[in-house]
Parts: sequence; structure tokens; C-alpha cells
Amino acid sequence: MIALYRTGTGPLHRLAAGPKLLLFAVIALTLSLLAPTLWMLGAALALVVAVYAVAGLGARELGRQLWTSRWLIVIMLVPQLIVLPPVVAVANTGRVVAIILLAAAVTLTTRVPAVIEATERGLGWTRRFGGNPALVGLVLALTITTIPVIAGFATVIREAQAARGARMRLTTFVVPLLVMSLRHADDLGDALAARGVE
Amino acid sequence: MTGISAREVGVEFDGRVALRGVSVELTERRIAVIGSNGSGKSTFARLLNGLVAPTTGSLTVHGLDPAHQARELRRRVGFIFSNPDAQIIMPTVAEDVAYSLRGRGLARDEVRDRVTAILERFGLAAHADAPAHALSSGQKQLLALSAVLITEPALLVADEPTALLDARNTRRIAAALLDELPQQLVLVTHDLRLAARCDVALWFDDGRLIAQGSPAELLARYEREHA
Ligand SMILES: Nc1ncnc2c1ncn2[C@@H]1O[C@H](COP(=O)(O)OP(=O)(O)OP(=O)(O)O)[C@@H](O)[C@H]1O
Ligand SMILES: [Mg+2]
Repeated sequence: MIALYRTGTGPLHRLAAGPKLLLFAVIALTLSLLAPTLWMLGAALALVVAVYAVAGLGARELGRQLWTSRWLIVIMLVPQLIVLPPVVAVANTGRVVAIILLAAAVTLTTRVPAVIEATERGLGWTRRFGGNPALVGLVLALTITTIPVIAGFATVIREAQAARGARMRLTTFVVPLLVMSLRHADDLGDALAARGVE
Repeated sequence: MTGISAREVGVEFDGRVALRGVSVELTERRIAVIGSNGSGKSTFARLLNGLVAPTTGSLTVHGLDPAHQARELRRRVGFIFSNPDAQIIMPTVAEDVAYSLRGRGLARDEVRDRVTAILERFGLAAHADAPAHALSSGQKQLLALSAVLITEPALLVADEPTALLDARNTRRIAAALLDELPQQLVLVTHDLRLAARCDVALWFDDGRLIAQGSPAELLARYEREHA
């Protein structure tokens, strides 16, 4: 989903962070507004494949991103299939997946400091209305930085439970994960304050 | 105006006393803080860069009053925690260190040069573009140290920086803190061998500063009482 930067020299790597984010926002918005038809879905997926090919990220990376999103796809698709016509359900889910994959293409090809800088510049005007662009940039950076940490917690919990012969259940997994994440957030808050972030 | 000066400092958390009546004048370079769990060591350390405010009494740290000059103080006081993971803000090693220099109006090249220099100093240059979370715990603490020292703080506070490290990494961090720093250091630790290498030791017990003096003497007494 949100991926770590991968070095490269493709056109997407060279495109400045500001225009890239803007382009992504426009495409995401357009995809969300189009009617849920198979035509829309086909176009969206063709766009995704084209972006990964042009960016030099390749089919392998695309597959990996899809695989990391598999549970999200199930969670979105199943309830929709129950209440909506199948074509609509598939098209709806497909467009969200396309947006996620495009977002991953952005984070794979853009260094985080560049994303922060672009966000701060792009949202500079919100300061007049009490906005805090620096904070938005920081949250973005922390989200990307923290994902491997939370993933690490999940592994630790799974292993600890397996070691004690416990079967995986949602409650026995989510609660410790939440506790560890909140603890981490607390420590991180201290570290941020100590490093001069208000 | 160097040094730390506390007069009758007390700290309470929701009516619970964490520190009481702490008075101390510290100008030594390396200051060890020892005491059992819950004795108030971290609270004392956190006072020094304004993470915690005194409930009573007055405090001056390198000429600044933490209660009113917290922002200024944080620029002058670096802090290292024990949890190596929770101090990383940016995805890669070099980006994380560079983050400390944001908003200082430095040119890009200047930032890059200073980051490279400090990463070389702590043996992290080869990992500059690696994801910070992929480092070992010891390397993460060296990264935290780099990210703090690049701002050239006047005082460094370290709260059990070696708590989660193995012997070799403890030695590396200890050498960096105790032998290689020019600035004042407050080192909270349960590792009495590290405390022994400081110039003065403070002993906290139940929120009180119960003894202060040469580490050799104080640690011997501490060990006797906890035997
Ligand atoms: N944020 C807080 N809220 C409430 N109570 C706190 C808080 N921080 C510390 N305390 C309490 O203050 C007392 C001193 O805690 P402190 O963390 O300073 O001890 P410590 O000497 O660092 O202990 P340890 O060796 O376990 O790290 C303890 O009783 C603790 O429960
Ligand atoms: Mg403590």
C-alpha cells in the first residue's frame, strides 16, 4: 500500500514531487467520480499497468503491492457483493484498488523529504485559515516510517502466541497490537517533543 | 551560564509525587543518575529539556528556565531514550538525521555535508540510504545519537540509552557518550559500570535526591544497600 522509496531513474522518479502529487490527486478524484462500470474499471487498471511499466517498477512490484492489499480487497468486496449488483461491486472495489496502487507508485518513486516539502509548499495558503502544513507533512512522513514498526509488532505477537501454542484469534491479536502501538505512539511523542517538534 | 541548578524542585502527576525537594548545582561534565525503579530518575531527566515541568521550586538549565523557555531549551538540550525504535522520524538513516536540521535555514549542500560527517563519525555512513528501521538496535541508538548531536546541543540527556543493548553495543554507545563528547552529559542508568565512569553521581530514592558525590564512593554504598 504505502511503500518505501525505491531508487530509480524512470520518468516518475524524475517528475518533481509537487506535480506528481497533484496529478495523483486529480486522477484519484476523477476515478472516484466516474460511474461504476466495467469501462471505468478497465481504464483504471490499464492506467495502473501503464504507470508501473513507464515508471520502471515492473510487474513484480505491481504483484507485490496487490498481494499486500489482498485483505483490504476482500474486506471491501464481500459486503458490496451482498448488497450491490456484481458489476458495481467489482468496479467500486477495483477503483479503490487502482487508487491504492497509484498511491504506492507515488511513494515508491518519491523520497519522503520531497513529499513533505511539496506538501508544505502546496498547502502554504492554508496557514491563513489556521492550517498547519508542516504538521501535515510530518504526519505523512511518520505514517510511512511507522508502517514497518507496526508490521514488526504484528510479527512479534504472532510468534509469541505461536510459541505458547495459542491459536490466532482476532481479539487475541488486535488487543496486544493496539497496546504496543499506543505505547509506541507515546514514546514517539516524547521523542518528537525532544527533537523540537511542537 | 553553563550547568544545571535546581532549587527545591518538586514534580507531581495528578496528585502523585514523582520528585520532591530536589536541590542541586551541577557543573561537572558527566553526571550519572542512579536509583531503583520508580525513584524519579526519568522525571529528573525530563525536567532538563522541558518534557516535564516542575510543580514547585525553580530550575535553570544552561541559563534557561524550562518553564518559560521550553522551545529554546529543546534546541540546546539533546535527549536520547532507551527505545531505539521510537526515536526514528524519517524513513532512511540520512533523512532522519537531516530532519534535525530543518528550519535552520541551512543550504542543502551544507545539510548533506554535516549529515555525512556525523554518520561517518558513528560508523553509519554505509547505511545512509538504508531504511532506518532495518538497522540493529545498537545502530539505531547510534542513529539517535547522530540525530541529536548534529544540532550541537550544549547538554545531552540520556535516559537508559543502553537498556536494550548487548554488551558490544553498550560499549560503543558508552564510549560515544562518556569519552567522545565535549558537552555536558546527564546519564540515567542501571548499569553501574557506566555510572562509575562519570564525574559525579546522583542517587534518587522515592522521589528524593538522597545522595550526591564521587561515583566511586556513592556506587559502593549503593551496591552495599542493594546487595
Ligand atoms: N507521566 C506520568 N504520569 C503519572 N505518573 C508518573 C508519570 N511519570 C512518572 N510517574 C510516576 O513518578 C514516579 C517516578 O517515575 P520515574 O519514571 O521518574 O522513575 P524512574 O526512576 O525513571 O524509574 P525506572 O527505573 O523504572 O525508569 C513513579 O512512581 C511513576 O509511576
Ligand atoms: Mg526511568
